[in-house]
Order: sequence, then C-alpha cells, then structure tokens
Amino acid sequence: MEETPRRRRSIFDIIDEYFESLEAWAERFSEALLEKPSWNCRTCTIEPLRDILVTSDEVIVTVDLPGAEESTIQIKPVGKDTIEISAKMRRKVSFDDFGITHYRGEFQKFHCRTRIPVPVYMDRMEVRFKRGLLEVRLPRKHEYEIPVE
Amino acid sequence: MKDEVRIIERKDIPKGAIMLFGFPDVGLVGVIAASHLIQELGLEEVAYMDSPLLPPIIVLHEGLPHSPVRIFGNHNILLAVSETALPAELIHPVMHTLIDWGRSKGVKMMISISGIPVPDRQDLEELKVFAAASNVETLKMAQEKGVEILREGYMVGPQAVMLQYCATLGLPALTLLAQCFFQYPDPEAAAKALEQLGSVAGIKVDVSKLLEKGEEIRLKARDMMKRTQQELAKMRKTQEYDIPLYIT
Repeated sequence: MEETPRRRRSIFDIIDEYFESLEAWAERFSEALLEKPSWNCRTCTIEPLRDILVTSDEVIVTVDLPGAEESTIQIKPVGKDTIEISAKMRRKVSFDDFGITHYRGEFQKFHCRTRIPVPVYMDRMEVRFKRGLLEVRLPRKHEYEIPVE
Repeated sequence: MKDEVRIIERKDIPKGAIMLFGFPDVGLVGVIAASHLIQELGLEEVAYMDSPLLPPIIVLHEGLPHSPVRIFGNHNILLAVSETALPAELIHPVMHTLIDWGRSKGVKMMISISGIPVPDRQDLEELKVFAAASNVETLKMAQEKGVEILREGYMVGPQAVMLQYCATLGLPALTLLAQCFFQYPDPEAAAKALEQLGSVAGIKVDVSKLLEKGEEIRLKARDMMKRTQQELAKMRKTQEYDIPLYIT
C-alpha cells in the first residue's frame, strides 16, 4: 500500500486544533449542563416553549401556552431583567395522556422564567393572548444616545 | 457517508408509489402531517433506516425498539418520517439514501411536506401553501392545481436536499410549504399542507381531528420542537428569511 506523505504540522496548527477541540467540548458540556426535563412533577408544572425578539424599540417575548386558561395568566417582573410567566391549564394532563407509563405525575400549570437581554420598562408591558400564544411587549430603555456628528 | 446508511425492508414494497417525506423542521409541519396521515390512512411500517451515523437513539413503541427514521406505506403511498431531529450533517446522506431507495422502487413522484416560517403567523387567519419543484413539469402541475409557487428565496433543510438531488436525477419532486410558526408546533399549518397534498396528489384525508386536537398536539410536540430548534440553528435555517442576491 502506498503511504501518503505526512505533512509536517506547525505548532500553530496544533494550537488551533487544540482550541477547536476545546471549544467543541465546551459547547457540548454547556448544552448538556443546560439540559433538563421540560416538566416538573414536584411542582406539577410544564415548561412552555418560548422565544425572544429584540427590535430597535421593544423586546417581544412569546410563549406557547396551548390549553391555558386566559384569566389565570400571570406575568411577574423579577428584578430588572427577568419575567416569570405562569398559567393554569383548562384541564390537567398526565403522563398517561402522552402514552407514558414509566413516570407518574399530573400537570396543571405552565411555568417559566425568561431573562430579558436588554434594559426595558417593566411597568409599560403590553400583553395579548391569541390562539394559545402569549405575547409580551416591553419598550426598550435607551439610557443614553450617542450623537452622530 | 451515504454508504453507511441503509434501508431495511420489513414488508413488500409497492412499485410506482408516491413517496412522501415528513421530517422535523419549522413548526414541525411535516412530522405532524405525517403522523396524521399514518393514523388516518392506517399506514404500516414497511422499512426503516439503519446507520452508525444516526444518533444512538431508538424509539420504544409497546416496549419494542424502532429506528427513529422509518418508512410507512400502503399499496400506493410510501411515507418517510423521522421521530427525532436530524443532525444537520446527516441530512445529505439520509435524504440521498431515501431518494435512491425510492428510485429503486420506481417511485413516480417525491413530495416533501414542510413549512415556511412567517413572522406575523399569529395574526394570519388564512394560511397559504407554497410549492417548489425539481423540474418545470412538476411545478406547472402544482400551479395548475392552484398551489402558489415559491418563486425566489433560499430553502434550508431536508426538502432543499431532496429538491436538488431529485433535480440531478431527473425525478419529479415537489415540496409543499405551509405558512407556519418558526419555533412552535403548528398543527393548523400541517392541516393546510395536507389539504394541498389532496389536490396535488389525490391523497385525501380528513383534517378535522388534527384541528380539534391542535392544543393537545402542541403540548405533546414541545420536546421535539425544542430539539429541532437546536438543529435548525446549526443548519442556519433563518437564512430562509434572507433576500438573495441573484446571479442570473
């Protein structure tokens, strides 16, 4: 078998490779660290899917709350940069409803906390709930402006 | 990589069928539609995918192991579906293997069911379905059946690979894309895509149950949507929002 000539690697290649593998490891580690079930049997809560969009003048948080009772939706600011959202479901769901028999538990509430990535006016929050999707709009706080000369 | 993916047949495979694809993507439109088709048409598992490239995952049904990528079918339909979000780097070998296999079975047309995300989805009362095809004839057929054509733009994901590969092989292929949420399961969009599937391919199913059970499906699909979001980010799915710089 013909042997392929071995390319001599510089120390910089080796360092680059080392950092690449370190980055890949850190990425996998942080993903694994953040992973947790989307439900909590102790608190009987389900963590809903959510998304954050930052525009030039507001932050829009959407949360998917299928089957939530609109009158029970609560949005509470926690400190300056976090909101906590909860809502009761119109009917309880259990693992049995999902065809799962190896866990036991019933869920009757959605619950999640979301960090807002930029400063906002929490007291000027606008909320709407349509088709089971909650939308929270928070005006951005522009603390100072840089003049363009 | 393609050599490392194989299809294992469990039943006789019909010749000359229509092959459908329902893979995890925006709004999980394809997977929700596929699951509804399987139930409504009573499709059975006819084959499955085996590969060391797939994540080390099995799906347990009634205590027995199943591949996350399976093919269901009856006498004239084959439906490839994945129950797990496919890692971005596997989309090419997986789609190429499925298409090669379908081609060996004389599949007369490939149709993938998916979604196209729209930012104002929450306010849309009537959802549109767009189509793109692997050749002019198939595109014209879809247009004649009343489907709007997705004229310009980027497409990212399994359906992009499917269209390109089928175009190379000269196979008729169509992608149906229903307007949908990017990051939330969207059974309404799946219902809309299935309605269009009825008109373009004559595969008609009642979608009323899908709409009635919409909230339940959204609740059940949360975890799969979350995993899919992670893979969509890796394959830069948001490029579908980009305005292309055309090179004519």
